[in-house]
Amino acid sequence: MNTFQEKTNLTRRQFLRGSGVLAATAILGGILAKFGFNVQARSQEYIAQRANGLYSLDERMTLRKSHENPEILQIYKEFLSPGGVTPLSEKAHHLLHTKYGDEIPELIAELKQHSHQAA
Amino acid sequence: MSQVKGKVLKHAGQTRLMHWIHLICFVILGITGLGFYFKIITIDYIFGGIGNASVVHRWLGVVFTVGPLLYILTNFGRFSRFIDTISTFTKDDFKWLKTMGGYIPGLKGEVPPQDKYNAGQKLLGWLVIICCFLFFVTGFPMWLWRHAMPPQLLGLCYDIHFWDAVIAILAVAGHFFLAAIHPKSRVEFASMMTNGYVEAAVSAHHNEKWFATLQNDSELKA
Amino acid sequence: MRAVEIIEITDNCKSCDHCSSICPTGAITGKLGQKHDINHQKCINCGQCLINCPFNAIQDLNQINKVKQALDDSQKYVVVQTAPAVRVALGEEFGLAPGTSVKGKMFAALRKLGFDQVYDTEFTADLTIMEEGTELIERILRQKGPLPQFTSCCPAWIKYAEDRYPKILPYISSAKSPQQMFGAVAKTYAAQKLNVKPADMYSVSVMPCTAKKYECDRPEMIASGYQDVDVVITTRELAQMIKTAGIDFLNLAEEEADRLIGSSTGAATIFGATGGVMEAALRTAYELLSGETLGKVDFHTVRGLKPVREATVNIPIKELGQTVPVNVGIVTGLKHVDSVIVDVLAGRSKYHFIEVMNCPGGCVNGGGQPIRHD
Repeated sequence: MNTFQEKTNLTRRQFLRGSGVLAATAILGGILAKFGFNVQARSQEYIAQRANGLYSLDERMTLRKSHENPEILQIYKEFLSPGGVTPLSEKAHHLLHTKYGDEIPELIAELKQHSHQAA
Repeated sequence: MSQVKGKVLKHAGQTRLMHWIHLICFVILGITGLGFYFKIITIDYIFGGIGNASVVHRWLGVVFTVGPLLYILTNFGRFSRFIDTISTFTKDDFKWLKTMGGYIPGLKGEVPPQDKYNAGQKLLGWLVIICCFLFFVTGFPMWLWRHAMPPQLLGLCYDIHFWDAVIAILAVAGHFFLAAIHPKSRVEFASMMTNGYVEAAVSAHHNEKWFATLQNDSELKA
Repeated sequence: MRAVEIIEITDNCKSCDHCSSICPTGAITGKLGQKHDINHQKCINCGQCLINCPFNAIQDLNQINKVKQALDDSQKYVVVQTAPAVRVALGEEFGLAPGTSVKGKMFAALRKLGFDQVYDTEFTADLTIMEEGTELIERILRQKGPLPQFTSCCPAWIKYAEDRYPKILPYISSAKSPQQMFGAVAKTYAAQKLNVKPADMYSVSVMPCTAKKYECDRPEMIASGYQDVDVVITTRELAQMIKTAGIDFLNLAEEEADRLIGSSTGAATIFGATGGVMEAALRTAYELLSGETLGKVDFHTVRGLKPVREATVNIPIKELGQTVPVNVGIVTGLKHVDSVIVDVLAGRSKYHFIEVMNCPGGCVNGGGQPIRHD
C-alpha cells in the first residue's frame, strides 16, 4: 500500500505568494491604522469650527464689551442700583449672586424670608 | 473511480492542531459574541456572568489570533503552498464554479479536475483569511483602545465586527456541512479532525491535479 | 449634593466602556462587557458621555413636553432665553456646517413656536461680566475675598467643586451663571416692565448643556420668589421641537431678539467658547481698571483648545498708579482641573482669575449639543 507524503519543497512562486500575502496584510493593517488616526484627528474639528463661529459673530458686533451694552446700563440705572451703574449693589447681590455647598440652606431661608416680606 | 490504492497525507499534524485551536476558539467566540449582541443572558451565565463571558471572549480572541500567526511563522512553507494553491485560479476552477462542483442538485455538468483544494474551498480560504483579519483589526481596538478612539470609529468597529461574524458563521456553517455531513465530501472529515490521511482513491477523484503531482513525485523518488 | 437623574444609560448600552473614560468624575460603573450604570451622586450631569456614546445609548431628561404644556397654556406668559453656543450648532441639525450662525433664524423659529418674548442669555452674560468682573476687582484691590477667583458659569464645575473640593468654594465667584441671572431678572425686572405677574411667567431656557437642567432645579435658585428658570431644553430638543412643528427652518427670515433684556455685545457671544468668559472679563476689567479704551479687544492668548492655558495681561491700574500683571488661567475639561485646585489650596497658585469649563472646548461642545459622529 502506498502512502503519499506531503511535499516539502518550496518553489519561488510559492514563497513569493506566501510572503506577499503577509506583506499585504501588514500594509493593509498600516493603512487602516492611518485611517483610524485621520478619523481621530478630524473627530474634534467641529469644536474649533463652532468656536470660530462664535468669534466671527463677535467680530461682526458693533459693541464688543459688556459694560457698553446699553440695556445693561439701563437695568442698573432703573432697577439694580437706581440712579447709577453700581455692580454688587444690594439688589444685585440678592438677585444675581448665590452661595455654594453648606451655605445653601441658609441662603434658601434668607430668600424665602425675603419673598415673604415682599408679599 | 480511479484504481489507486493507499493513503495520502493531506493535513500535517501542526496544520490539524492549528485547525482544532481555531475551531474551538471560533465556536466559543461565536457563541459568546452572539450572546452579547442579542443580549442572551443564558449564554452569559454558562460562562459565569456577562463580565466573565466578556473576559473569555477577549482572551480566546488572543488565542484565535496568535494560534494561526504562530502556525504561519513556524510553518511558512506549508502556509506559502496553501496561499499558492488558493491564489491560483485556472479555467478548471471557473468551470467548477459554474457547476458548483456538482454539489447543487439543479446544476448539472462535467466537473473539471481540481487542485488540493477545489475552487469553492479556495474561496472559503480567502474568506476565512479576510474575516479573521477584520476580526483582529476591529476586535483589538475595541478592547485596548476603547478609551482612546473617537466614538464614531469605535461604533464602526462594533458594526464591522458583528457583520464580519455573521458572514464568517454562515461560511463556516457551509464548510461544516460539506466537510462533515454531505455524503459526497464527508469522507475527508477524518483527515482534518484525526490522523490527516485520506484514501488515495478519494483524493484522486476530488483533487485530481494535486494527486497527479504527488504521484509524479513518488514515481520520481522510486 | 442632590442626586437628580438627568443622564441615564439605556438598555441599548453595548458595554463598550468608552463612556467611562470620558466621564470626568468616575460616576460610570461597569466593566467592559457589562452594561454600564451612572452613579447619580457622583454624576455632574455634563452629558459628555451622552454625546460621545458610539451607540447613542445614553439619554438626558427630555423636557419638551413641559415646554409644550406651558406654550399651550394661555394663562402662562412664556419667555425664552438662548445661550450663545446654541446659535452656532443648531444649524447642524438642519444640515448646515458646524459653526454656521443661525442666530436670526433661531429667534424667528422661537417666535413661531409661540414664545411670548424671545430673549438672549447673552444679555445676562454681559451682566455676569459686570458682577463677576467687579467682584474680581474688589478681590484684587480691596482683598474682599480670596484669590484666585474661579468662574461660576459652568454648573457641572460647580457641582464638581461642591462634591469634591468644599475648601475651594470660597474662591469661586458668587455671581450666578448667566442662565440663572436671566431667570432672576426676567421674573422681577422684565415682569415689572412687561406688566406680567411673575407667577404667570414661565421661563424657558435653551442651552447647549445638560447640567443646566440640574442647575435650574437647585432649591436656592428662587431669588425672584419663584423658581427662577422653570425648565431647560437642549439644542437638540429645540431642533426636535422645530422639526415637529413643521417649521421650514432654513428658509426663515432673520429676526432679532426682543429688547429690554435681549441685547448683547460680542463679549457675551464668546462665552460659549473656552476662554471666552476670561476674554470678556479682561475687556471690561481692563477698561474699568485703567480708565483707558482698549484699541484691540482680541486677547488671542486666552483662545485655543488646549486643556490648560495661561496668560499674563499687564493692566495699568489708575487707582494704584502702577501697572499690575494679572495672571489668568483657563481650564477646559474637568480632568485637568485637579492639579490647578491643589495648587490653589496649597497657596502655590500664581493666578488671579481662573476660568473653568467642564466640556473640552467649552459650551460649544456641551452635552446638549447636536451629536456629531462623522
